[in-house]
Amino acid sequence: MVTTAASVAERPAESDLSLFRLYILRAVYLLIGLGEGSQIAPALFVHEPTARGVIPALLAGMSLLDLLGLKYPRQMLPLLLFEFAWKYIWFFAFGLPQWFSGQQPPTFAEDFFNIGFGVLLMPFVIPWGFVWRQYVMAPGDRWR
Amino acid sequence: MSRTAPSLWRRGDEEVSLVRLYVMRAVALLGVWGLFETVQTLVDHDPMDRGVHKALISGLWVMAFFAFRYPLKMIPVLLFELVWKTLWLIFFGLPQWWSGAGSLRLAEDLWAIGAFPIVCVLVIPWGYVWRHYLKAPGDRWR
Repeated sequence: MVTTAASVAERPAESDLSLFRLYILRAVYLLIGLGEGSQIAPALFVHEPTARGVIPALLAGMSLLDLLGLKYPRQMLPLLLFEFAWKYIWFFAFGLPQWFSGQQPPTFAEDFFNIGFGVLLMPFVIPWGFVWRQYVMAPGDRWR
Repeated sequence: MSRTAPSLWRRGDEEVSLVRLYVMRAVALLGVWGLFETVQTLVDHDPMDRGVHKALISGLWVMAFFAFRYPLKMIPVLLFELVWKTLWLIFFGLPQWWSGAGSLRLAEDLWAIGAFPIVCVLVIPWGYVWRHYLKAPGDRWR
């Protein structure tokens, strides 16, 4: 029998991810954690005294928790699924309609770029086969 | 050994107790129900609405369905809820409450956002989080 050494792109087991995929995931966690985090963190400290603050808190929380994804890229996948979900929801419910109608809030250009980037990137980052097996086909947690 | 005999309240050899799973599922259902109001605004909103807040909340709503079926695997979302809501309390909610000058929706937000970290702290199975998200060896690097 010929056993080949696991190459970088080879998938070792049905439930596992290739090393290449793990690095891609880690890169994205790092991008969101440090890249987006460093952009959003100042808004926590410096803001209008009466700012509602929900969006900075949400985005900063996301960045902070994504850093845990560097150690556990597979276990933290729900965060990337959440990223995928909300960005696609924004894109189809707000981004595209406002793009076509021309009626846009002042933050539109910035949001469209930042969120659109995620819309383009996330489908290629998320290991869909793994997600399908682990979060759809796998038996749910026990009931009794 | 009694350790190996899981009951409703004891986890035994399981990862968490059955009660814990039911409580986590109840919170997921609460999310499905409570966030739906925001989800409806996706189709009916001001054409100039920025929409980021509504999209984020709607994303959480989708995650709540997964959390109902897989409470343990979806713990990162609960941790996320705890972290962002705590950040909001520290940097926005509490300072505005104490200063007496806050956003127009402060009272509503203090209740809807500010109270939830307490729920998260009670619901999250910290032993499981410790074992799987801190102590466990990370995924491989090579």
